[in-house]
Amino acid sequence: MNIIETNNLTKTYGDFTAVNEISLHIQKGHVYGFLGPNGAGKSTTMKLFLGLTQPTGGSFQIDGKTYPKDRVPILKTIGSFIEAPAFYGNLTGEENLDIIRKILGLPRQSVTDALELVGLTQFKKRLAKRYSLGMKQRLGLAGALLGRPPILILDEPTNGLDPVGIHEIRSLIRSLPQQFNCTVLVSSHLLSEMELMADDIGILNHGQLLFEGTMEQLRQTAKANGFPTDNLEDTFLAMIDDDNRKRGQIR
Amino acid sequence: MILLLEIKKLKRTGCLPAFLGGAVLAAAFPLLNMLVRSETFTALPGEPFRILTDANWQMMAMLNILTIICGACMIYHTEYANNGAQKMAVLPVRTYQIFWGKFAVTVLALAGMLLFEIAALELCAMHWFPDYHLQLTALAKNLCFSLIAALPTIILMMLIASVCQNMWISLGIGVILVFTVSVFPKENLFLSLCPFNSPYQTLALAAQNGSEWIFTLICAAETIIFGIAAFIFDNVRRYFL
Amino acid sequence: MNFMSLIGVELTKLRRSKIILILLAPVIMMWIPSIVNAEIHFDPQGISITPEYNFFIQGFMGMAWFMIPASLVICTVLLVQTERSHKGLLKMLSLPLGSAKFCLAKFIILLLLAALQMVLSIGTYYLSSAIVSQLWNYNFILEPLYVIPEVLKIYVSAIPLAAVLWMFATLIQAPVFSVGLGLASLVPSVLIINTKFWFLYPMSYPFYLLMIAYGKAAKGIFETEIAWLPWLPTAALITVTALAVSCIRFGASERR
Repeated sequence: MNIIETNNLTKTYGDFTAVNEISLHIQKGHVYGFLGPNGAGKSTTMKLFLGLTQPTGGSFQIDGKTYPKDRVPILKTIGSFIEAPAFYGNLTGEENLDIIRKILGLPRQSVTDALELVGLTQFKKRLAKRYSLGMKQRLGLAGALLGRPPILILDEPTNGLDPVGIHEIRSLIRSLPQQFNCTVLVSSHLLSEMELMADDIGILNHGQLLFEGTMEQLRQTAKANGFPTDNLEDTFLAMIDDDNRKRGQIR
Repeated sequence: MILLLEIKKLKRTGCLPAFLGGAVLAAAFPLLNMLVRSETFTALPGEPFRILTDANWQMMAMLNILTIICGACMIYHTEYANNGAQKMAVLPVRTYQIFWGKFAVTVLALAGMLLFEIAALELCAMHWFPDYHLQLTALAKNLCFSLIAALPTIILMMLIASVCQNMWISLGIGVILVFTVSVFPKENLFLSLCPFNSPYQTLALAAQNGSEWIFTLICAAETIIFGIAAFIFDNVRRYFL
Repeated sequence: MNFMSLIGVELTKLRRSKIILILLAPVIMMWIPSIVNAEIHFDPQGISITPEYNFFIQGFMGMAWFMIPASLVICTVLLVQTERSHKGLLKMLSLPLGSAKFCLAKFIILLLLAALQMVLSIGTYYLSSAIVSQLWNYNFILEPLYVIPEVLKIYVSAIPLAAVLWMFATLIQAPVFSVGLGLASLVPSVLIINTKFWFLYPMSYPFYLLMIAYGKAAKGIFETEIAWLPWLPTAALITVTALAVSCIRFGASERR
């Protein structure tokens, strides 16, 4: 069953098309990896899901609900982490989470719970503006995990983390569907990372969806198109490169 | 070079249009005043330019001071908002040069404002007082005097804005200072020399009290003192951060 | 979540913002010259006013004309910058919360901060009038039954102004323009108060009420009766329009 579905979703800014008629199918209980180079339109798509920006064309459904009619009910089911971490610098990590908790109407325990999950418990009393990049990233992640929402939208959650942190967060994301029975949409520009996390994958370039399917299907498609398949990173690079070349010809 | 860079940094921040807007608003004062009740002023005895400054300069100077405050807050806000200041601090330039660059930009912007405003006053004088003739030397003298009178305010406000990383704090301090001097008694020479108070002084008023040279010299001295304070702060700020 | 707990959340966001100091400083500043130059209140320069009323009115004059509106401008900057500096607003907009409710909660915070400043100004008034009474051996202290309603009136009259400034802050993205516009709009209120159209200009409302109090305390200075009629409906209309506009436009640039 698809918990998130888009239908020719489009977003343009002036004459620049950030998201170009994409149709995604994200299955319930899966980790869906959203892959693409920087500026491919991953963040914009995620922002569209959160109602942070208005689509210029197409539509999407989340858990059977549509935007903009069900904006608040949709947001109640989503925990999100978008772009650079968003927080209040004058508050401590704990206070930041407490604000989100109150708005979501969750019990106090959930803050402790989320801090524990991302490993920030010992820094909870420190001002968020004094956090290191990795800690800010973890704080943002904790804000998304707060209350264990059924859908998680995470935009490059491992950015700025050290290798140990990347591994930790990756395992956490991998375990979320079983642990909390949730669906995760996670973006990255590294296929190698996706390989370890995602069940399904969507590849985006210049706002267009180049591929959607399981990891195994990706290998088969690559083979059929004559892309290298022994290393998935190379597959990804070849796909993007091929697409860019085709675009160059059109232009 | 620093000056050009500092001007460049203000692109799309709205600072320069804000200075222009301040100038237009301030220049609108004498114009509106004359349009609405010119007979009140034309009937007054004395020199036309003096009549106009007496009637309007308080408001115009206040607008200038408020524009300086907004400008200074904004100029430093662009440094602090996205950590630009930090990047500057690791480049091979002396940070106090940046301060002087910003100070110079503000002085230039204010000079433009004052020119516009004094020109508006002159135009009003020429239009409503038929006997009045434009004297360029007087205009230049007025411009220089008003600019020097505003220097302590500019440099002190720049110093405040450079110290406070949160814009509302520097804005708050600036506004509180404007308010504080507005409740000072007006006749006291010593108080009228304070930053945030000196821009209200006009050349005609100072000349009447015979204090135009003292005034100019003390304002210049204040500017130097605050400049030194900014230099010292720049050298010790690392200990606070 | 209900509106009250949302206000609680908004108050949490003001922690460590030093805003109380910024609100307190002017209310202390406004009395220092009055204390130092207390003797001028005995010389009303031809106006028939008693020294204690003179002290109260002169002290609050700068407050009503300039400092209350200017404090509101500073508070709007505080509210807007707290949300923007680390993209807190972006997080808020991705939470299940109506943005109009959120915008109104912030406006209430603005009013609460202004109320705090009013309380502080009453406190400092009594402190300074007690000091001056001691120094000059004359009773400068006015009854709370006079002082508190007067200050309350000035406060209530600042609400339309607060709504307009909040609208500036939400509509105008570049802070330099919203602040500049707010501050610049205060300057001509002294002139506008003497025209027939003062009621169209919210920046002059607090000053108008203070002038009415002045008129009552000193005969012939100003009108003594509040001209409710064109004023009240106009003020209500301005407030509602400004709030409606800010609620609609709140967070618009984050949602681009």
